[in-house]
Amino acid sequence: MRRELAWRVFAGEYNDSTLEIKGVGEKTPSHIITPLGSKVNRLFVVGVLTDVENVSEGGEFVRAHISDPTGVFTLYSGQFQQDATDQLLNIDAPAFVAVVGKIRTYTPDDGELYVSIRPETVREVTADARARWILETCRQTKQRIGAVTEAMKMNEPNAGELRNLGYSRELSEGIVAALKEYDTVDISKYLAIVRESLQYITPSKEAAPDLHLEEVIEKKEAKKEAKTKKPAEKKEKASKELKSDDSEETENTVLDAIKKLEGEDGAAWDLIMENCKKAGLDEDSIEEALTSLMDKGFIFEPVLGTIKTT
Amino acid sequence: MNDDLSLYIDDILNALGDSSEKEVSREELEKELKKFIEYGVPLDHAKQTLIKKFGGSYVPPSTERVLVADLESGQNSVHVLCRVLHVSPKDITVKGEARKIFYGILGDESGSISFTAWKDFELEKGDVVEISNAYTKEWQGDTKLNFGDRTKIEKTDESKIPESIMEPKEYKVKDLRSGLGAVEVTARILELNKREVEVDGQKKNVFSGTLGDETGKAQYTSWHDFKLKEGDVVKIAGGYIKSWKGIPQLTFDEKANVEKVESSTISKKDIAPQKLLLYELVEKRGAMDVEVEGTVLEIRRGSGLVMRCPECNRVLVGTECSIHGSVEGVEDLRIKLVVDDGTGVVSGILDKESTEKLLGKTLDELKKMSETKGEESIVEEMNTILFSHRISLRGNALGDAFGITIIAKDAKLADIDVEVESERISKELEELS
Repeated sequence: MRRELAWRVFAGEYNDSTLEIKGVGEKTPSHIITPLGSKVNRLFVVGVLTDVENVSEGGEFVRAHISDPTGVFTLYSGQFQQDATDQLLNIDAPAFVAVVGKIRTYTPDDGELYVSIRPETVREVTADARARWILETCRQTKQRIGAVTEAMKMNEPNAGELRNLGYSRELSEGIVAALKEYDTVDISKYLAIVRESLQYITPSKEAAPDLHLEEVIEKKEAKKEAKTKKPAEKKEKASKELKSDDSEETENTVLDAIKKLEGEDGAAWDLIMENCKKAGLDEDSIEEALTSLMDKGFIFEPVLGTIKTT
Repeated sequence: MNDDLSLYIDDILNALGDSSEKEVSREELEKELKKFIEYGVPLDHAKQTLIKKFGGSYVPPSTERVLVADLESGQNSVHVLCRVLHVSPKDITVKGEARKIFYGILGDESGSISFTAWKDFELEKGDVVEISNAYTKEWQGDTKLNFGDRTKIEKTDESKIPESIMEPKEYKVKDLRSGLGAVEVTARILELNKREVEVDGQKKNVFSGTLGDETGKAQYTSWHDFKLKEGDVVKIAGGYIKSWKGIPQLTFDEKANVEKVESSTISKKDIAPQKLLLYELVEKRGAMDVEVEGTVLEIRRGSGLVMRCPECNRVLVGTECSIHGSVEGVEDLRIKLVVDDGTGVVSGILDKESTEKLLGKTLDELKKMSETKGEESIVEEMNTILFSHRISLRGNALGDAFGITIIAKDAKLADIDVEVESERISKELEELS
């Protein structure tokens, strides 16, 4: 079987995906179609590993988060990816890591799609590797923006016409699928993502937005050399939370509800919904809070449809 | 009504022809047909059912002729009128059974197309044939014509598609792909070898080698002595393209028109490796002498120190060669890696020289390292230096069912000026919005 290529997609685009095309049978792989038409089965990501934790009791099943200039990738790795799991557990976060991985999806009863990554390879890398990745991902995201823009001009977007314009077969097919799924693709959002990401690698008078992160890492390196190991509160520092108080409050309400419901086996998705609605929250914001809590690592899903605090 | 019916019966009898397994009389057919009509079955469908019933294969009324250039994949019951430009037999195994199939190239005034005949239609080069009930399929990215059990092929008057109609079309070397017929190429002969082969009991000289223009390189085979020399720049009109592992091969014979042109038209230094994005290479399914760039995403198993058979150069398993048995192995060093640029992915194989250059260590130094720190330490070293780095590979790109493998003649880590590049993207972004 042919190897699937590894897409360069920012977290901000990947996590917006709501369409998965499942492969039929053993030989056709599944793909996630991102809003800009990436047809992803495998990705290559370089970013900052912010936290790793074991989310299953007894066995080894870890969740990790990797931050890029636009958002956070969630990774799940278990015993079937022993090398990757070991690497994740051995790297001292925060650290720059490069990950090659496959798509992973989860769809709760309400049908929404949650995307994450099942890593195949994880290695600690340098800041240069991240700069190269950001550059490459900017270039390719820009390319996709161009392709989507062209496709939207067509009476009936089709892969043949896109390929004639010089886009690859996979991207052309992905874009046609994306335009069917996403009624309106918010081009300006992705343009902004590329622009902001470029600032990370373009030296300018303005301080790069995540400079403090690099400092943390530099400090960490220094500490390593000085061999003075102290438990740092790097997690708090590393997670760059820009959330408003509002959503924080919602998250607290949801988290409390889960704690009240969970017992030993976790809390049922439906019950959480019900209780939070009683507390005056609407479905969308509850879901948003759950996703965010999961991203931050406060909760996880031991079984489909069941939430537990960590 | 009766007249109509008898016309249909004629049709059925015609379709059954000699191939009919069961004898059937006119009267019997009429009876059967009338029964269908009583039940309100449309005549065409009734006719088709009866032909099937009596062992014939239904041939729909001859459809209109399609030009080769207009063929698309997934068409059934295609009717074409073509000249056979090339045909060769091929032995294949289908479900454990040996079968002989035929493949080649057909052309008409609009262009040419590859075909596969799943049985022997006794096609010969130069035949002009009327083909009905062929079907088209996409194979390796191109539309191909297929002839199966239902296909009818009839030889017809050669003047219907005179050879002169098939005006050679001009191509650049990079655009050559298998299935093209009546090709005209102007290129420089880079390599020339002569060998003797036996065709139908007769000894014949074959001239083959490499040619190239400013867009790329390809192989060629000439079945006629055109007195070519290395360094000649020639215009070859009237060849066709076969391919081996995705590498195009221009094949021509005495019928081709070969003409020397001013050798400065394509000077030696004009010929550079073809630079491609990986998706372009993947979609081409191979090419000669390419230069590509991508990120190393995996050091594959089999990288590191290996022992080779002194006879055949195969890598040994333990001390065993799969052909020559237990042998005294010759030490070698290689890297097998996966290179991916985000648009496509290829495998690369780096030889000892490239490996030593990239790792900055000789085979002997690596051997020592392996002895003291274990074999894994070499792979770890390769990962440290190469994983997540951009690499540039130059060499021949061979394609097969598993994708593309570049046999690297040269490999180097790519220089990237992140600042310059990011500024360029910023500018392009402004133009986009």
